[in-house]
Order: sequence, then C-alpha cells, then structure tokens
Amino acid sequence: MAHSGSLIHFSGHQYLRNRLVLSILSGKHVRVDKIRSEDKNPGLRDFEISLLRLLEKVTNGTIIEISVTGTAILLKPGIILGGPVSHECPLSRSIGYFLEPIIMLAPFAKKPLQLTLRGITTDDHDLSVDLIRTVSLPHVQLFGISDGLELRIKKRGSPPSGGGEIQFLCPVVKQVKTLNFIEPGKIKRIRGIAHAVRVNPQFSNRMIEASRSVLNRYIPDIYLYSDVYKGEESGKSPGYALSLLAESTTSAIHCSEAVSQPGVPPEDIALHATRALLDEIKQGGCVDRKHQTLVLLMMVLGSEDVGRCRMGPPTLRTIQFLRDVKDFFGTSFKIVPAEPSDASSTELVYSCYGSGYDNVSRRLA
Amino acid sequence: LHSRKNRQKDWMKLIYSSSLTPSQILQDEKAANHEDDEADDDDDDFFKLQKGSILDDEHIDMTKDILTTDDLKAWGDEEMLDSIRGLFITGSHDAAEGEA
Repeated sequence: MAHSGSLIHFSGHQYLRNRLVLSILSGKHVRVDKIRSEDKNPGLRDFEISLLRLLEKVTNGTIIEISVTGTAILLKPGIILGGPVSHECPLSRSIGYFLEPIIMLAPFAKKPLQLTLRGITTDDHDLSVDLIRTVSLPHVQLFGISDGLELRIKKRGSPPSGGGEIQFLCPVVKQVKTLNFIEPGKIKRIRGIAHAVRVNPQFSNRMIEASRSVLNRYIPDIYLYSDVYKGEESGKSPGYALSLLAESTTSAIHCSEAVSQPGVPPEDIALHATRALLDEIKQGGCVDRKHQTLVLLMMVLGSEDVGRCRMGPPTLRTIQFLRDVKDFFGTSFKIVPAEPSDASSTELVYSCYGSGYDNVSRRLA
Repeated sequence: LHSRKNRQKDWMKLIYSSSLTPSQILQDEKAANHEDDEADDDDDDFFKLQKGSILDDEHIDMTKDILTTDDLKAWGDEEMLDSIRGLFITGSHDAAEGEA
C-alpha cells in the first residue's frame, strides 16, 4: 500500500474505534498511548481488546502490539479479508459497538463478509441492531453498496446477560459512489420496532400506543411494529426497547431509540424515544447525528469528485473524526451554512473532494 | 434578527485550525446560543443539552447521545410540538427550517 510505513500517533482511549478504522482503510500505522494511564484501573478494557481481536479476524496480516501495561497499542494494518467470521462480543458493550466499525470496513474487503456476532443486541450506548438494520444500512446504500447487504437478527439479547445473535452480510465494492444529498425533503412516514423479551409481551403494545399518542398528530403513515421473539430466540435477560425512524420524501432518515430501565414504565420509555425522534427531526439535514461519521467517511472514500451532504452541526465525535480523517487521508471538508440568508438555521453543507479510494484488497484477488 | 448573527460559526476554522477540544468547541456554541436566547426571547429555547460539563476523559466511545428526560422535557409543550409541523409533508404553512 502506498502509505504503509507512515505512523500516526494519538493519546488516550477516546475515539479508538474510528482511529482503528481509519488506520486499516488508509494502510497507515497507528500508535495509541496513554490509554487510561491515569486511571486506577489503567489500560485497555475487555471490549477494546475484543474489538482488536475482531479486527484481526476480518483482516489478514494485521499486526497488533499491546504494551505490557495495556496502556499503549501499535496497529500495523494488513488487508481486509472478509469471508465467514464469527465473534463472541463481551457483555460490557453491545454488538453495535463492534458492528459499527465493521460496517465501515467490510465493503472494502477482498471477499464478501459473513459475520456472526453474539452478545447484547440493544443497549444505551451504541446503535442497536434494529437501528443498524433499518437506518445504518440504508445510509451505506447511498454509496452504491447494496446488493447482498443484510443484517439478520437471529436472537435478541438484552443486558446484562445477552444471548443475542446476529448475522451481517456485506458485499464488496471496487469504489464507492460520490454522494450528493442536500435536499432534506419532508417527513412522509414514521416506522418503528418495539420489542419485549422475557417480560409481559403487552409491553410492546403499550410502547406503541404511547408513541402514537404523540406522533399521530403529524402524519397518517405511521407503522410501529411489535417484534416478537420467543424461547431461545429471546436471549438470557428480560428487556424491551422502542426504535423509531422518520423517513423523508428524499429518503433522509432520522432515528431514535430508548431502552428499558428498571422501574420505568414502558410508556415513559416510548415517550423518551418519541421525543428524541422529534429532537432529531428538528435538527434537520439529510443525515442524523448518529450517522454523521459513517456518511462523512464514505464521502472521503468516494470517487474523485466533489461529494456534498447537508447535516446538522457536527457532534463531539464528528469534530474529532474530521480532524482524524485529515491526519489519515489529508482530506478536509468545506463546511458552510446551508441557508446563508437565514441566520436561525444551524444546518450545514459538508463537502469534500473524494480520495478516489480503490478497494486494494479486492484488486489483489 | 441581527442579534443572532454570531450563531453562524466558522466551523472550518474551529475544526481545522484551532486547538480547542471538541467539547470546548461545542460548549462555546452552547454559551453563544444561551446569550442569544436572552437577547431574543422569541427564540426557540429548545434542547439546551446540559451536558457541557462532561469532561473529555469521562466520555466513553459511544455512538448514541445521552439525552436525559429533562433534555426532552420541552417536547411536552404543544407549541413545541407544533413548531416542527412544517418539516412533515402534511405541514402546509411556512416553518423555520426545511423548506423545499
């Protein structure tokens, strides 16, 4: 690879996932030190080590060195291999933590990836498998990665004991398409998935009813689906959640989610998810806050043309991601107000010149 | 309207040529928005995420934003709910944002 050998250096455990992804895609080595070095329990956590192992499995020739204390790592990326991979996710993080970076890598593998992950399918920290299936994958499709792209939820697994299982299938591409997505359109439909495992199945319906009581005022096209999993398929712990998405006339998707908490009735969980969805819709733009980095990354990898996308203001993670992208790919974005004449609008247009990223692994095939 | 002018920040400069941490950049914005709200009471006082105090170190690598029930309390208000009607296909009248 053209850039192999060059080394990029970071400190701290923050943003580790994105940095590992950028390293593997760019072929640049990455060194991260001072990982929780001040913490009373210093070094990498079990989920971070597990993620490194997973990255080793989906690539070939990757060298990972971890210091004795676990406070520093060095990653020399190999090629993205793909093929059948199976991984047990620790119960400290949900499957989403592991799947989000994999989605960024898998299209550039040598062979189509068939990944089986086991663990917690929905939690408060990362995207649930429902949102990844219904929202993240359509975002990936915007870039021409679609035939054979699929996520199957075989078993659900709530925290703390998990027991869920998913299968992620991803095709390989040579290059990703340039994005030009600046028309947010108007919300035309709302979809949702309510699930309740190992608790009273009526909880799903109670969540749906509570959510509808707020959403019905806006549009008639609302379909909230109660997803039923029984026996083995419902995992090892009780739990329930509501995932919502709003789709616009131009296929812009905004999403939200709320997960059961002890002592909180399902109605309140549903209300939380519903209000979070409205909050997301209010942000405007064509891509919601949780998917900013995924879309921006694919824009960087796009063919050598100017890609544009309208979004709300960058999140904390996005700001750091933009800086990291510049370190790895040398690409910086032009970020300008979407409505320069309207001072109350916070929407922005992000544009960049695609790096013309070529799937090197595939070419070796 | 002129009082809101400082809301349009130079994101490129903040991101690429300042040494502020991401949370400093966003805190700065919240502070600016707050001033604004005081200057102009008609302004939507929607979601002031009261999380500015979260230090970078405590932040774990996660994708979802933590929105507390308090952050979303504003959505209990009918006026607030009506304010985004324009973003739906059924909303006819002019809304602040998202006009086609």
